[in-house]
Amino acid sequence: MKHFKYILNPRCGNGQTAEKICGCVSNLLRCTRTCRTRTRLECCLRRQLARFSNTAAESLLPGYFARMNVGVAHSEVNPNTRVMNSRGIWLAYLLLTTALHVVLLSIPFLSVPVVWTLTNVIHNLAMYLFLHTVKGTPFETPDQGKARLLTHWEQMDYGVQFTASRKFLTISPIVLYILASFYTKYDTTHFLVNTGSLLSVLLPKLPQFHGVRLFGINKY
Amino acid sequence: MASGQQWVLVEMVQAFYEAPAYHLILEGILILWIIRLLFSKTYKLQERSDLTEKEKEELIEEWQPEPLVPLVSKDHPSLNYDVVTGFVSAVSGHISEEMNLPPSHKIIVNGKECVNFASFNFLGLLESERVKLKALSSLKKYGVGTCGPRGFYGTFDVHLELEERLAKFMRTEEAIIYSYGFATIASAIPAYSKRGDIIFVDEAACFSIQKGLQASRSFIKYFKHNDMEDLERLLKEQEIEDQKNPRKAKVIRRFIVIEGLYINTADLCPLPELVKLKYKYKVRIFLEESMSFGVLGEHGRGVTEHFGVNIDDIDLISANMENALASIGGFCCGRSFVIDHQRLSGQGYCFSASLPPMLAAAAIEALNIMEEDPGLFRVLRDKCKHVHKALQGTPGLKVVGEPLAPALHLQLENSSGSRTDDLKLLRAIVDYSLDRQIALTLARYLDKEERFLPPPSIRVVVTVEQTQEEIERAAQCIRQAAEKILK
Repeated sequence: MKHFKYILNPRCGNGQTAEKICGCVSNLLRCTRTCRTRTRLECCLRRQLARFSNTAAESLLPGYFARMNVGVAHSEVNPNTRVMNSRGIWLAYLLLTTALHVVLLSIPFLSVPVVWTLTNVIHNLAMYLFLHTVKGTPFETPDQGKARLLTHWEQMDYGVQFTASRKFLTISPIVLYILASFYTKYDTTHFLVNTGSLLSVLLPKLPQFHGVRLFGINKY
Repeated sequence: MASGQQWVLVEMVQAFYEAPAYHLILEGILILWIIRLLFSKTYKLQERSDLTEKEKEELIEEWQPEPLVPLVSKDHPSLNYDVVTGFVSAVSGHISEEMNLPPSHKIIVNGKECVNFASFNFLGLLESERVKLKALSSLKKYGVGTCGPRGFYGTFDVHLELEERLAKFMRTEEAIIYSYGFATIASAIPAYSKRGDIIFVDEAACFSIQKGLQASRSFIKYFKHNDMEDLERLLKEQEIEDQKNPRKAKVIRRFIVIEGLYINTADLCPLPELVKLKYKYKVRIFLEESMSFGVLGEHGRGVTEHFGVNIDDIDLISANMENALASIGGFCCGRSFVIDHQRLSGQGYCFSASLPPMLAAAAIEALNIMEEDPGLFRVLRDKCKHVHKALQGTPGLKVVGEPLAPALHLQLENSSGSRTDDLKLLRAIVDYSLDRQIALTLARYLDKEERFLPPPSIRVVVTVEQTQEEIERAAQCIRQAAEKILK
């Protein structure tokens, strides 16, 4: 059966004869009986449900299958701007970093300083990749591609600087660095690696670096 | 063990006391940075404005509001309009209420019954009995409107049938219907071309194409009308730019937007050369076929059939059904991969109510008529050639357009220099013709909005319904008008 791309036109009412039904998308939906107790729409949908268990039809029957999408519609032009403000994402980020650290800690041959440095480095690498390398949106936006050449950091909150999420994401690598320095006992090699990694993730977050692409890297 | 853990912590704290100074200084700076961050205010990165506050104040004081209703001269076209009422049926000779039919071949302008040389009713399908019967029966079946866009309770079986029929007729994979002809190409262009992309478009492109280009926010490069060398020059410049910056070139898309038969200049585009350029410079072609659909080609398939170009070479064909097909709305056809994108990205498709099913059924019936009788196109082409020949040699007016074009333009040979004066002269010719029962019209534009405003002209439209004798009469009338008014 052709996949259910369009929501069928109801043109339904109680007690109408079958010939009056028109405009239903596929042959399967043409009702052949008169329904007196339910509306034609319900009849069509029930029959379709019985035959093919179509999830689109399910969602159109409230009360029977209460799976309507209430409260999910938004008019945000670029949803990427609001991702870092969404409910629970800060906690999820912290938990993910902790999970990374715990997994690294469980590797037997790594010592504690090495694990902390590795956590710091991997966390900063992932942050650099997701926030400062990947550009544009995975979906089409109604603004004809305004954010096509912008990284996620530059898209956050439509370019407004020093919002809450931006502050949080700037402070967390610093905290991780301070912890890592403590646990590596301020060793020189670890210092160099950690500081380099921290700088790579702090510099792109400065407002002076908004939209800046050094040496043409990652420009297009 | 507890003592073991305590020992590790002692070691850590000891390491802190023995830490190198530079490290601790760096950490101090970082902590200060955190405190500064926590207390900084949010602000937007403003683009610098080059005006100082004083200059802004001056500009604000200088500004005078324009009047709500500007002063216009008495002979502004909006104040002197022609009133079109229905046409009288051939059965009864007098105008009565029940016989008032909508205008088609005959039209009543300002109370006078005239022969219609102004409506784009190329194949005479406006008064076809078959189409009318089909429309009435589907009016009884479906009612009037669809009350919804295509994705939300607005799809009927007639829409799907019309799309299938159009795709089969044009011999493409898929077609998509829009409910308003102007919105068809104006929605199709921004669905594919975004910011940063480049569109090469002819200067004589119609207004709906211009609005589509404006909505797309892309870089627009105009080339001179039908001038392939100019286009090649622009494409070569773009190629040089691309070679300088190949990474940028990989992400930008390039399009050429052309019309099959231009509505403003009534001539054909050189399609075979354009296809060659397409493959040489890797550009996509969008072809707008509003005037040539149902007119050119052996079976009416448009300019691709006329030139014998493989239809798969054209990436998107867009046409409106308001001319030859005598319905309302428009369609785009092409490969499934291309057309399917418009089902979610075509703004006129997703966010406008769909085509009323009565008109879709009328369009299907019109397609039936077109498919059954391909001789119709030959008749139309012969009539076009005839009209073109008959209008040659009119004193003071030149015929702009191909002999094949069904909608010709008559422009003044020597313009007086002012557009209003030219329009006045042409309007006088139109009035003269209206008195002699030939309905003509001036080609109208939104003067301030058009990018390349075409010169004022009278548009003469040829339909299959016009008899030889009517054409001769019209040509004679125009010649007399030109002699009288332009001498």
